[in-house]
Amino acid sequence: MPKMLLSCTINDEPAELLVQPYHTLLEAVRDVARLTGTKEGCGTGDCGACTVHVDGRPVASCLVLAMQVRGRDVRTVEGLAANGTMHPVQAAFVAHGVPQCGFCIPGVLMSASALLADNAAPSEAEIRLGIAGNLCRCTGYTKMVAAIQDAAGRMSQ
Amino acid sequence: MTTVMKTTRDVRGVGLSIPRFDAPEKVTGRTQYVGDVQLAGLLQARLLRSPHAHARLLRIDATRARALPGVRAVLTAADIPELKPMARTRAHAMLAIDRVVFGGQPVAAVAADDLAIADEALDLIDVEYELLPVAVDPQKSMLPDAPRVADRGTEADTSEAQAHSGIAATGTQTTTQAPNIAQQGRLTRGDVAAAMAQADLIVENTFRVPMVHQGYIEPHAAIADFDPNGRITIWSSTQGSFACRAEVAEVLGIPEARIKVIPMECGGGFGGKIRALVEPLAVLLSKATGRPVSLIMTRREELLAGMPAPGVIIRLKTGVKQDGTPLALEAETIVEAGAYSGALLTMSAVFLSSVYLWPAFDVRGFEVLTHKPSIAAYRAPMAPQTHFAIDSQMDHIARKLGLDPAEYKLRFLQQGGDLMANDQPWAVNGARECMQALTAHPFWRDREAWRASGGRDGHGLRGTGLAIGGWVPNIQPTSATVRLDSDGTLAVLTGSVDIAGTNMGLALIAAEAYGVDIENVRIITGDTDTAPLTGLSAGSKTTYTVGAAVAEAGEDARQQTLKIAARELEVSVEDLDLRGDSVVVRGVPDRSIKLSVIGKRSNTFGSKVPPVLGSSSLAFDVQAPAFAAQLARLEIDPDTGEVTLHGFVVAQDVGKAINPLGIEGQMQGGAVQSLGFALSEGLLYDEQGRLTNPSLLDYRKLTAADLPDIETIMIEVPAPAGPFGARGVGEPPIVAAPAAIANAIEDATGVRLVELPLTPEKIALGLVARDRANGHA
Repeated sequence: MPKMLLSCTINDEPAELLVQPYHTLLEAVRDVARLTGTKEGCGTGDCGACTVHVDGRPVASCLVLAMQVRGRDVRTVEGLAANGTMHPVQAAFVAHGVPQCGFCIPGVLMSASALLADNAAPSEAEIRLGIAGNLCRCTGYTKMVAAIQDAAGRMSQ
Repeated sequence: MTTVMKTTRDVRGVGLSIPRFDAPEKVTGRTQYVGDVQLAGLLQARLLRSPHAHARLLRIDATRARALPGVRAVLTAADIPELKPMARTRAHAMLAIDRVVFGGQPVAAVAADDLAIADEALDLIDVEYELLPVAVDPQKSMLPDAPRVADRGTEADTSEAQAHSGIAATGTQTTTQAPNIAQQGRLTRGDVAAAMAQADLIVENTFRVPMVHQGYIEPHAAIADFDPNGRITIWSSTQGSFACRAEVAEVLGIPEARIKVIPMECGGGFGGKIRALVEPLAVLLSKATGRPVSLIMTRREELLAGMPAPGVIIRLKTGVKQDGTPLALEAETIVEAGAYSGALLTMSAVFLSSVYLWPAFDVRGFEVLTHKPSIAAYRAPMAPQTHFAIDSQMDHIARKLGLDPAEYKLRFLQQGGDLMANDQPWAVNGARECMQALTAHPFWRDREAWRASGGRDGHGLRGTGLAIGGWVPNIQPTSATVRLDSDGTLAVLTGSVDIAGTNMGLALIAAEAYGVDIENVRIITGDTDTAPLTGLSAGSKTTYTVGAAVAEAGEDARQQTLKIAARELEVSVEDLDLRGDSVVVRGVPDRSIKLSVIGKRSNTFGSKVPPVLGSSSLAFDVQAPAFAAQLARLEIDPDTGEVTLHGFVVAQDVGKAINPLGIEGQMQGGAVQSLGFALSEGLLYDEQGRLTNPSLLDYRKLTAADLPDIETIMIEVPAPAGPFGARGVGEPPIVAAPAAIANAIEDATGVRLVELPLTPEKIALGLVARDRANGHA
């Protein structure tokens, strides 16, 4: 099949990617743009490891066709830090000792950062719901929730 | 190794709560897993898998697939002379030869320019199957006329079991009477019939636990590169690079020295990545194509044909006196191993009869093969299933006798020195202290008020449950080096794969042993060509064994450093101390030499200062049992049976907390895996042996929204031979939740449930049965 040209913004920079019409956004990001921070855990939208932002909203990139993001704004975990400074939720994940194996972490961070952009002071229940689409097998989520609460507090200061 | 290391150097070392070195990489997406490795000419592989659980392979024709542009190799059993009939393990049976023995077993392998082409090629392979009768139910599979799973002459395999637990396998044997009974064993003490006849209360229960998947988020993945010299490099998601190298070498008949395994960051293993699963086929595809080949399983493949934890059925019959005193225990354990043998029978028998002390017992165990994927370890293999049975049973007995269940368990819980069923004494451990920490917790103290508040004011039924579970971590020889670098920092080198934050603990141990702050220590996981030989990261033994080697290597490097400093400063070693970044002469603060100066002099032309390289090679003979108690406060919707957890506490004997932050994470994560066993997980098979829930939508893992905060309490009962008294911490927290939840459900409802997972459906049906029995509508 002839490839198609996908023009979009990835992590604040204009991107032009040659993709197959059947490529998912996950494949475009990982295999074509070579941004491998975004992970595939299931390929069916059930685990959240592939979560990225499209126009600021968290989406499972394995369920989106690459060409659907034409002209849109895509952000991956590599674009979460700004000007060399970690996003507060990234810094909180480090300080709270959240990452273990780390495979789910990029997806959780994208869900958490989208939540905090939406809701500056989420309750514990809102945080738990906000990352309920992200499966983590190592942490039991307790430290994640505390770290997101901590980040929310720092961001509102 | 029989001495406790007690150095309390004044450094930032052992006991410091500190985030992992690799956390910044992990939160920025820079950590490299197998799927992130980019190599020139890398091909992508897919496997064609049998849709049938048991079938004869009549014909495989890959002609059309081979003709597809972009396909570089298609392998079937006919192309692989290394494949032998009567495969002993899954790795040996990488492709079915003439018979498939479980649904999802690979029958062909494709390497292509990309995954889309590889997937298309799978559709072009023609396979003709003749369906054969299946053995799906383990109890039926034990019958002499059941459809045979293994080929005649296939022997039981206990190597995997031995990788995990230090409890020696005794009394297991194979049998030829029933074709699918791969092993059986029996442990007995005393006259059970006579003791049972004296009992005031006899309780019988049959506990069932389904097969579950380890659930790591990164599926099995490997890249292999077979170079023109016949040397092989494997990038693997593995729990043990040296074990992976050994298994690939054995399966393919290649000398180990020709294989280099590079352990990439492991995106979760939990026992499921001890065995090589995709590596041998990746090597063969690379050999066939002359290019590096990536083989990464999909989630569906993981659930269909991974290496799950066994299905377990445990029938218990216990006799006690009116005051609860245990008299006799009779048990039969059936472990469903899937298509290849590998279960840990003895561990289960020992826990059933010896965590609580039964003066007379008769415990029989059977490992049974069925036409399902073969099992592997899952974090404390067999312990969650076994403790679910025995702790539930004890709790049930206490409630029947009107006794406080926690006090009752504490009365008869093992202590150091008591004899286990295999006549080995229990080593000193903190099981009792863990239980006591939880009986002092407000959730337990206030359990009557919590229960009384249920069923009124719109609340559901409320209950509290407490259980304990343990593990006997394994031991394995290992080695490590500690090098002083030119800048005065330490480089610690092992082959240890960091699946649990262990590298941080090893670094803290090196800091403490040598006498520098943690900030001056780097830890490196080498590949199999460069690292000193290191054991598997499994069996909760990395800190206990590799940690001991790092401690000794650090001490060795310290002594070498002091010796050099003594010569340079012209004093004796006894007059020296290591403080901050320098070696100083005691009482003469201005006479000192910086570590960086020693390091630089050892890296200078013509210098007489030898490089500092501490090393240690150890073998072990003392194990350290590790227990964790768990406490659940929950509420049940009486109409739907839905469980809401209001609180969950883990108290664990860690011996000595090397890195408390990392241990908390282990305890919380382990507890949630344990809760998954308890509440939601199970691989479900139909009568033809087909998996009916091969997706994470239908195989339900717990999410953040299902759970409360997991509270942790660390107990420190030092392990005599552990580094600084440390015990293994990875496995114990996965053990006790199923019993804790079942105990809480009985507390709330009066209903004792014995089949995992404890789903809303089972709870609601249990309530209906209870009400019928009580004469309600």
